Amino acid sequence: MSANYIISVRGLKKHYNRGKIKALNGVDLDVKKGEVIVIIGPSGCGKSTLLRSLNLLEQPTEGQIFLENVDITDRNTNINLHRRKVGMVFQHFNLFPNMTILKNMTLAPIQLKKVKKAEAEKKALELLRVVGLEDRANAYPSQLSGGQKQRVAIVRALCMEPDVMLFDEPTSALDPEMVGEVLDVMKKLAREGMTMLVVTHEMGFAREVADRVIFMDEGTILEEGTPADIFSQPQHERTKAFLNKVL
Amino acid sequence: MAEWFAGYCSWLCDCYASFNGWLYGLQKEFTTAFIVDDRWKYILKGVQNTLILTFYALILGVVLGVIVAAIRTSYDKQYREMKNPIAKFFLWIGNAISKIYLTVIRGTPVMVQILIIFFIIMASSRDKMLCAVIAFGINSGAYVAEIVRAGIMSIDAGQNEAGRSLGLNYMQTMWFIILPQAFKNILPSLANEFIVLLKETSIAGYVGVTDLTRAGNQIRSVTYQDFMPLLAVALIYLVLVMFFTWLVGLLERRLRKNER
Repeated sequence: MSANYIISVRGLKKHYNRGKIKALNGVDLDVKKGEVIVIIGPSGCGKSTLLRSLNLLEQPTEGQIFLENVDITDRNTNINLHRRKVGMVFQHFNLFPNMTILKNMTLAPIQLKKVKKAEAEKKALELLRVVGLEDRANAYPSQLSGGQKQRVAIVRALCMEPDVMLFDEPTSALDPEMVGEVLDVMKKLAREGMTMLVVTHEMGFAREVADRVIFMDEGTILEEGTPADIFSQPQHERTKAFLNKVL
Repeated sequence: MAEWFAGYCSWLCDCYASFNGWLYGLQKEFTTAFIVDDRWKYILKGVQNTLILTFYALILGVVLGVIVAAIRTSYDKQYREMKNPIAKFFLWIGNAISKIYLTVIRGTPVMVQILIIFFIIMASSRDKMLCAVIAFGINSGAYVAEIVRAGIMSIDAGQNEAGRSLGLNYMQTMWFIILPQAFKNILPSLANEFIVLLKETSIAGYVGVTDLTRAGNQIRSVTYQDFMPLLAVALIYLVLVMFFTWLVGLLERRLRKNER
């Protein structure tokens, strides 16, 4: 395990219904620090399952996941400590509706990192300013638009100062005109050197930002390479067929 | 014409007299029931005991209910994915105990339960109130547990995932994220359970607790009059329930302030 890799996945399998459904069927993946990886593929190909496995929201059936050289699938690993270093953004935002935006963002730092309340709020407000929502700090999630919610969800994850950010179809539940504002935040984050894994159908985003594009099908990585490689000269018929439909 | 009028007048007078007599009778009954020998103090003591009993039983019931609901839901959601065999074993035991508890308590009448606790399990204790609190608390806990479980299950799984992905552990996620939202959803059912509990305490008299119902009975056994004490007892229960319903309504509106 080279120390260069922030995430290493070895032989990852996830089976449901006693092996009848194979969501992941042997995935190997190495992610370098600062790399932006976009995962594409048809629905049901296992891309979300792979992403969710990386912070054990899905418990793998087989295989190992190394996060900063620690095997998080090992039963003696305290997964809660490692999840602090892995931010996750969901398709449906999953903001806490019973708390204000500010409380959403400061809950985990105050509870887990024992940051002082004032300090945590100061940092949260700074982050909100970056995404242009500082005036909404005391609003409740139900008072925000979809795009605003997703931007809050991103900075909520950033409040824990993660080393890796996982994005699970962050723009799929948004109105078309709100997709741009969320992608802009993600691009900014990528430029700042954040390690990112993004499951998305936004091929434009993949082309512009990704260091590497991964094409998955039937629970395995079928093909990977730079955006130019994948989008211009796909090797596999399956990749070609998929790209023909979505581009 | 005049004759008819005179007849009418005397009939009215009769009416008035008999109404007056009836009113006087009521007044006398009221005096016997509540004023003589300061018998209203029985009622006051009864209301006090009913409220104390309900309050502590409610707290015990909610604590028990939340614990049992947490065990049951975490067993359903987490058991198959758990890695630590010791924790897994304890969760399995906890779930089994919870299920037996729910089955037994919901499967037997509260009347029988309170007698069993008073005459068998806590036979050596002479604290009737304590026995009643424990009996009603344990009974209520079983119903609260299922209400809370329904509330926890009504919260979108994404909320749990969001909390866990930030690094919060199961308990923290439950406490800060899931339970506050669940509580808002189940408040009407909890209020219902609370009302049922308040009225159910009327059988505490069977083990000698002087609750509101028993206070009424004590007055009846002295005065040999049923009407006033029973009416008063019923009215007081009604007023109490109406008051608490109003209070819960206020709380509900407060909790909904973050919804548009």
